[in-house]
Amino acid sequence: MKGRSILKAGALAALLAAGGFLLAASGIVPIKASSGHFAITEWFLNFAKRRSVATHTIGAEEPALDETWLVLKGAGHYDLGCRPCHGAPGSPQPRVARAMTPPPPFGPEIAAWEPEELFYIVKHGIKFTGMPAWPSQQRDDEVRAVVAFLLTLPDTDAEAYRRLVHREEVAASPDESLVVLGECARCHGVDGCGRELPAFPRLAGQRSEYLVAALQAYADDQRHSGIMQPIAAGLHVDDVRRLADYYADLPGCPPLAAKSASASTRGERIAYLGVPERRVPSCTDCHGPGFPDRSLAAPGLAGQYAEYLVLQLELFRSRQRGGGSHAHLMDPVASRMTSEQMYDVAMYYSSLPPTGQ
Amino acid sequence: MGNNVNRGWAAIGALVAGTSALVGCSGPQSTLDPAGRGAARIAELFWGMTAGAVAIWAAMIGLALYTVARRRTEPSPRAPALLIVGGGVVLPIVVLTGLLAWGLAALPPLLAASDSDRTIVVTGEQFWWRVRYLVPGGEAVELANELRLPVGEAVELQLESRDVIHSFWVPALGGKVDMIPGRRTRLTLEPTRTGVFRGVCAEYCGTSHARMAFAVVVSDEQEFARWLAQQAEPARPATEPLAVRGQELFVRSGCGACHTVRGTVADGVIAPNLTHVGGRLSVGAGLLASEPDGFQHWIAAPERLKPGSAMPSFAMLPADDLQALAAYLEGLE
Repeated sequence: MKGRSILKAGALAALLAAGGFLLAASGIVPIKASSGHFAITEWFLNFAKRRSVATHTIGAEEPALDETWLVLKGAGHYDLGCRPCHGAPGSPQPRVARAMTPPPPFGPEIAAWEPEELFYIVKHGIKFTGMPAWPSQQRDDEVRAVVAFLLTLPDTDAEAYRRLVHREEVAASPDESLVVLGECARCHGVDGCGRELPAFPRLAGQRSEYLVAALQAYADDQRHSGIMQPIAAGLHVDDVRRLADYYADLPGCPPLAAKSASASTRGERIAYLGVPERRVPSCTDCHGPGFPDRSLAAPGLAGQYAEYLVLQLELFRSRQRGGGSHAHLMDPVASRMTSEQMYDVAMYYSSLPPTGQ
Repeated sequence: MGNNVNRGWAAIGALVAGTSALVGCSGPQSTLDPAGRGAARIAELFWGMTAGAVAIWAAMIGLALYTVARRRTEPSPRAPALLIVGGGVVLPIVVLTGLLAWGLAALPPLLAASDSDRTIVVTGEQFWWRVRYLVPGGEAVELANELRLPVGEAVELQLESRDVIHSFWVPALGGKVDMIPGRRTRLTLEPTRTGVFRGVCAEYCGTSHARMAFAVVVSDEQEFARWLAQQAEPARPATEPLAVRGQELFVRSGCGACHTVRGTVADGVIAPNLTHVGGRLSVGAGLLASEPDGFQHWIAAPERLKPGSAMPSFAMLPADDLQALAAYLEGLE
């Protein structure tokens, strides 16, 4: 008796599965986005999405969003990578995105999520929607920047948004034939000096060979960044060379305000002598100052934002940075440095006058 | 026929055993072919112990045979007690006390003071040897993976470690002494004949422990003095075009952040001093011959040749750059 009911249930399940397959095979179910979902389908899918995100962020720590410049960095990426679908303050939801099923939420509504949930969604994307994963899974720091910006979005008006996203009128580009410069200048400035906060590295005076190699490494998936990789991959090879030459030819930037003279003094020692007891070599042989014949594969660091330098060292330490053909030389060096030593040496380089490299 | 096969195997066995025994008895890394006072005492001790062991073994076998041959007679009741007390208590005490006295007496030559005020500091690092000759009143002369000593002079080595426990051992010259982080241990070597000997790390110190060797060159006093004076000189600038390019590349590639070449801008202190690297016997602490090919292989693939080495790979440099670098280093004699 019992055996027969199990047999019956099995037959029923097989029948249902076959029916489902036949339904799909017949092609009756419309895949078109134009009709949207039934209300109940939409509710169910949203319910499943919220539950999945909630479950997968159980025990997740709230992302650290303390650095003041995170919002600025996130805004720059938002305008380029997110706005086309999610819109921005002062402009309506983009028309094309509204035709998607499901339609992407309008920017200012996004902050209804908890910070750790936003982090999860921005990093991993959402299946069966248009939401892509972060292009580089190594760069949680970039994801945090976007989350920091998204949390401020409801309180950001059109004017504030414009000021966050653009440093200056991009029309001021001196080289009109170099249209793509606008994309770079949004964050790195037409003068190559970055923004008022240390969100973006200064490029003015950096050697052209290094800038080309860096863009190439981003484009080839050798250097990791969800922000720079898509931009670099979209550049024409001629533009890469011209952009690099443009930034290399710029004069240096105004010096940065000295923050800690004692850290800078300690850092100077590390830069010139390394930390022999930890097997950290000196920095200057490859990164200057001095050494006019130093490697073209190593960036000059004088006058660079200290926060940016610390971030790079931390990325090297966790093997998440990647880079050009010589980047692996830095991995063990960063691994042997303490966080204090990183801070000190970054302070030293940022205190140097940023004369062209 | 079976007999022939057996005899063939026996011959091969004897050959293998004989050859291994001979290989073990001589060569640049043998305790049984001593070339130093300390090693000679250790070898004496070894042969003495071997002779003693053979004598004891023969006595035991003799006793066993005697017992078998005499098995029908009733033993006297006192015989077992005599054997146990004599062979189990008295004999070991006498033999071991004698050995201890002999062994302790062999120690002083290993720790004897230097004949001269010359001091050599050898530092074990994963996985190479830093060697510094402290010249009284002068600047220390630093090199790596090679030790040179004058024959007939007792020289004190001060042994240190920068990372983990290593052990300094030149079997042909003396005993082995651990190199312990945070401490300075001592060993005196007194070579008794000239030659090139091999030293090794005798304490497991990491992945490439087995690839951490060094050469000890023992020469006469004049030759040694000439060599030391030459080592104290700064490097001669390259002259050959390929080597000149290599010299530029050495600076440009940042090699000077880790390595020193005295007389140039390269002043790094965390890796082997390369001032006269071309004159050394090997590259990579006993791994490769000190020839352009050896340098080139080492620069391009240190991680493959010596896993865990702190030297990063420079395989990304074009082949002709590697060639130029190798030519420069080989020329640093």
